[in-house]
Amino acid sequence: MLYDLRRADVRIKWLVTCLLATVGLSYVFGALMVALYAGFTPQRVAATYAGAEMSMPMPPDTTVVVQHPMSMADFARPEVHTVDTDLLIQDTHVHVPMYGVIAAALGVVVAGLSVRRGWALGLITLLFAAPWLDFAGMWLTKFLSPRFAIATLVGGWAMGAGYLVVTALALYQMWWSHERS
Amino acid sequence: MHLLMRAAAIAALFHITPAVVLVKRPDAVRALLPGADAYYAQEVHLSATDAHHLHETVDWSPDDGVLAFYTGNAGSTAVGALEFVRVDTPHGPLEVAVGFSPQGRVRGVIVTKATVEMKPWVLEAVASGLPDRYRDLKPGDVPAGAAALTGRTGNLAAYIAGQVDKGVARALAGYGAFYKHVGA
Repeated sequence: MLYDLRRADVRIKWLVTCLLATVGLSYVFGALMVALYAGFTPQRVAATYAGAEMSMPMPPDTTVVVQHPMSMADFARPEVHTVDTDLLIQDTHVHVPMYGVIAAALGVVVAGLSVRRGWALGLITLLFAAPWLDFAGMWLTKFLSPRFAIATLVGGWAMGAGYLVVTALALYQMWWSHERS
Repeated sequence: MHLLMRAAAIAALFHITPAVVLVKRPDAVRALLPGADAYYAQEVHLSATDAHHLHETVDWSPDDGVLAFYTGNAGSTAVGALEFVRVDTPHGPLEVAVGFSPQGRVRGVIVTKATVEMKPWVLEAVASGLPDRYRDLKPGDVPAGAAALTGRTGNLAAYIAGQVDKGVARALAGYGAFYKHVGA
């Protein structure tokens, strides 16, 4: 095959390395954003995406007052960040094309790796399918069942795993493999 | 022109920056209910009629139709009450904490949350003395922080003052109409 990252010009290797570093940096901050606004447990993801639409309390016939004691810890308790349908449309509109571009860039790196054709096809599929699963989970959580929060978590972790596998293979084959030129 | 303005508003809505905490809620509680050693939440679940009346008065409905007042006591003495009010703007949400003295007048106003974009505007408005403009207001008064800041500070700080005015007006309306109800 003409396109082989092991034997690529050092300029191409450096370009791919910088690309992987940049994507990795964006994923680290993406994970921090998730930790801040959604969390890494099915319960928190479900509360983020299904929360607002799930509870629709009916107003009482007359105004009712409920009183309970509060501690400082109650005031400090973080509020659940919720994503309504409008915001999810916006998030999907912004993120899915970007994830597609990232998957395509990583897919081009995969095409230059020395791995079996089936593994390469599997990796490319994973790179694209992970964000699909991530966002499908958000929509299904909102409109079908909070149990689909697990799909978002699996999709998110799969994106991270796909990136790590591609990065580890690429860096090894470009810079440390015995077969490199 | 109208179309352009609508497009600009939609573009702004679609690029809301993340929320930032300017003052943590416990710190706001300590500042607005000074000396309190016991706190209570009084959640007023509004009837449809009361919720409609509040909406008509200040163009606002609290989340889930529940107005939350937080009161503080120092021993057996009431220190006052406070509300956290959210104001949705085209640049994202603001949260304003409005504290009341036992006499029912505004003790203080603190902007507790904003967005990354609005944070410098809020800081400029606060540095220009915006919170002082609300002190001693009582239900029925009209907050005029924006009018006081216009010409003395940047346009964006004055814009924020207008949004804080809305938050304070909502807190005053809620307190005036329903805090007595709570007391009764």
